[in-house]
Amino acid sequence: MAVALTMARMKVAVLRHTFRGRGSETATTGASLGALLAAGTIYLAFLDPDLLAAGYAAWALGWMLGPVFAGGGDETLRPEHFSMLGLPPRRLATGLLVAAFVGVAPLVSLAALLGLLVSGVRLGVANALVALPAMVLQLAVFVLLAKVFVALVGVTLRTRPGAVASGVLNGAALAALGQIWIFFVAFDQTGVPAAAWYLPSGWGLLAVRGDWWALVALAVLAFLLLSAWAALLGRRVGATRTSARGPRRPITASTAGGAVVARELRTWSRDLVRNHQLSFALSYGVCFAASPLLLGWDGMLPYAGPIFVVMAASLAANLYAADGTALWLTIMIPGAGDVRGRQLAWLSAQAPVATALTVAGTAINGGPWPLVLALLPALLGGAAGLAPLVSVYGLVPGTDPHRRAGNPLRTSEDDGGQTGLAYAMLVLVILTGVPAGLVALWTGWPGVAVGVATGALCYWGFGLLAERRLSSHGPELLHMMRTGRKPQAATRSRFDHLSNTRKSIAVWCFGGGAIPLIPQGVVATVFVARDMRHHTWFLATYMPPGLGYPVAAGFILLGLAAYGTGLWAVRPRRGPGRLGPGPRGTGREAGTAQR
Amino acid sequence: MTPALRLSGLTKRFGDTLAVDALDLDVPQGSFFGLVGQNGAGKTTTLSMAVGLLRPDGGSATIFGEDVWSAPGRAKALVGVLPDGLALPERLTGREVLTYLGLLRGLDRDVVARRAAELLALLELDRADRTLVIEYSTGMRKKIGLATALLHAPRLLVLDEPFEAVDPVSAATIKTILRGFVAGGGSIVLSSHVMALVEQLCDHVAVIDEGRVAAAGTLDEVRGGRSLEDTFVELVGGRDGGVRELSWLSR
Repeated sequence: MAVALTMARMKVAVLRHTFRGRGSETATTGASLGALLAAGTIYLAFLDPDLLAAGYAAWALGWMLGPVFAGGGDETLRPEHFSMLGLPPRRLATGLLVAAFVGVAPLVSLAALLGLLVSGVRLGVANALVALPAMVLQLAVFVLLAKVFVALVGVTLRTRPGAVASGVLNGAALAALGQIWIFFVAFDQTGVPAAAWYLPSGWGLLAVRGDWWALVALAVLAFLLLSAWAALLGRRVGATRTSARGPRRPITASTAGGAVVARELRTWSRDLVRNHQLSFALSYGVCFAASPLLLGWDGMLPYAGPIFVVMAASLAANLYAADGTALWLTIMIPGAGDVRGRQLAWLSAQAPVATALTVAGTAINGGPWPLVLALLPALLGGAAGLAPLVSVYGLVPGTDPHRRAGNPLRTSEDDGGQTGLAYAMLVLVILTGVPAGLVALWTGWPGVAVGVATGALCYWGFGLLAERRLSSHGPELLHMMRTGRKPQAATRSRFDHLSNTRKSIAVWCFGGGAIPLIPQGVVATVFVARDMRHHTWFLATYMPPGLGYPVAAGFILLGLAAYGTGLWAVRPRRGPGRLGPGPRGTGREAGTAQR
Repeated sequence: MTPALRLSGLTKRFGDTLAVDALDLDVPQGSFFGLVGQNGAGKTTTLSMAVGLLRPDGGSATIFGEDVWSAPGRAKALVGVLPDGLALPERLTGREVLTYLGLLRGLDRDVVARRAAELLALLELDRADRTLVIEYSTGMRKKIGLATALLHAPRLLVLDEPFEAVDPVSAATIKTILRGFVAGGGSIVLSSHVMALVEQLCDHVAVIDEGRVAAAGTLDEVRGGRSLEDTFVELVGGRDGGVRELSWLSR
């Protein structure tokens, strides 16, 4: 236990330093959001045990998938730090587990698990007493699920087939979550499925409600997960790098522009983390658009391509950080067309896939050709323009590829900032498709011309802005990546530097806006139009005739308003004039250099 | 004659720490210039500002008379840089790194291919032709970094700790290359903590201490009749009352 306590103390020390610095903002935002979720979960305990079981299933899923999408989870203490101590794997894992209990996320989850105590108290003294060990064991299972899942994904990222396969699975899982209403409709399910009780996330609740065996099962599961994690830790220490092997392609580039494109394409195809991300985006687009087929509705298929583009773009939001301090070479060779090359490389890799998906999906559905053909070029151009722009303006320092530790998902120490940037990118790319989409909806084919025009304009214009920013602020960006910290003054307009209130508003709006907009708004409109009544949780279908459309329209407005509010919350505090490069030596944010 | 590198009043502050304090330094053309100093003395910060990788809070840097900040294109074409600990395009092979960088520098394709092959063979990196840079050892990283610095035949080389983690055989090769570069009219600035190495290679030396130049000149001017190490320790050492032993380490 001494090892475990020492590790816990180390974690406390690290967290104390983090919270004293800029990490405190992220932690406060996380804690306040978490507290809200926890309070909601405890409230479920007063409502309905069925809902509480479903709530805990959602928590477990969050623990498992969250770290995969948000930078590999908690890595404050790493197994590599202790590899020279010669600890037996299980003792190391136990120590790391105890240390993993220290932190905001476990604390918040423990608060949510107070729902078990509430349920117990309502049933009797014995039940309340069982709730205490159940809470601890359930939390241990949550934490261990996260650790084991991240370690498993890490192992798959050592080979290309593994990276692609886990990307496909994760994409499908996230798409299924986003489209969960379809499964409810398909299985005509109105309540909480009984399965929620028998998932490990529900065992704590089962135990509290009198199924004492569940407590034992929880303990056994925790022990098994701990052993699995210990075994996986052994594989992680001394892990090989995540690069694809095999014969190398001959070098054919002969110009500066060609050199950047070739470098980018090779980097993307050899970096297994990027392989994982791209297959994730592809799988997400396909699964999201194909899942309504379960209801016999193929109307979403044409949008698989556009969804893929948006997803892939959000993963490229931190483009420059992915190469870390290699930026010094770009600074040392000014005027070599780095931004244009990266844009061209990104486009040449994504556009064929997106086009094939879009054409196939639209052909199956038999339309709407003008709309998708307007959206596709608009989004592709928008994404290829925004990726370099967002990454030079909103750069979240990444860890240099050769310095990354055993967890390949951990590409930045600021995982919160990186996730925020990805969300911002999602919204921005969608916005670049709006003009073309609207024109196509109203007038049909002219929308395609608008899409091509806005796409080309975004590609050219945003690329130009990114190029200028890179040449005026290259050294500042490099310094940021070298130190891993943003200089205080340079972050004035970025998400990171917003007040906690604004950040919370943005997170809630961007995170929650889709629910009123898509299922309760757009989908409900379709159902109302088809005269489908009393459909599961689509509020508009329960309205008396005549009120269906207004209610659905209201939800659409609500969703749009949420996104608008989110954008308002993250908008730069200073005027748009600062987008320009500014003469050297003036308008610089960091330092007061004299030339 | 215009100095190969001239630093005037270079200043950099990180938060409360003054890393480089109005530093002036002239590196004459054709010199092999050693920059020595303790850890944290400001060597890397100075060299980064000298080549345009870090923006100074004050002062200027010129390379053969070209200002690094107002004429970056011309200044940067004249210099080859080996920074300490920065990344390269990590998922390329050594040959790919050199080829693409050469093309970005505007070199002709055939010239690049020839120079890359020569550099890789000389630095014994050609045996690892399928290995990506990310899988290189620390010493190999230094060697490929040196190759990227030499590729466009610059007139000034700025090398930050070029011999760190390099094995003796490769170090001998690198020394030969660098001596040949100076003999051919090039100028070199390198930083190091290894006094013997600086004495062996350099004809000029500057001692950097707490962001300032504590002494600078030809090697003989700076060290007088003593070894460079003695001079160095006298200039910068001795602040903490001498060296003590760890009593618990002896049995």
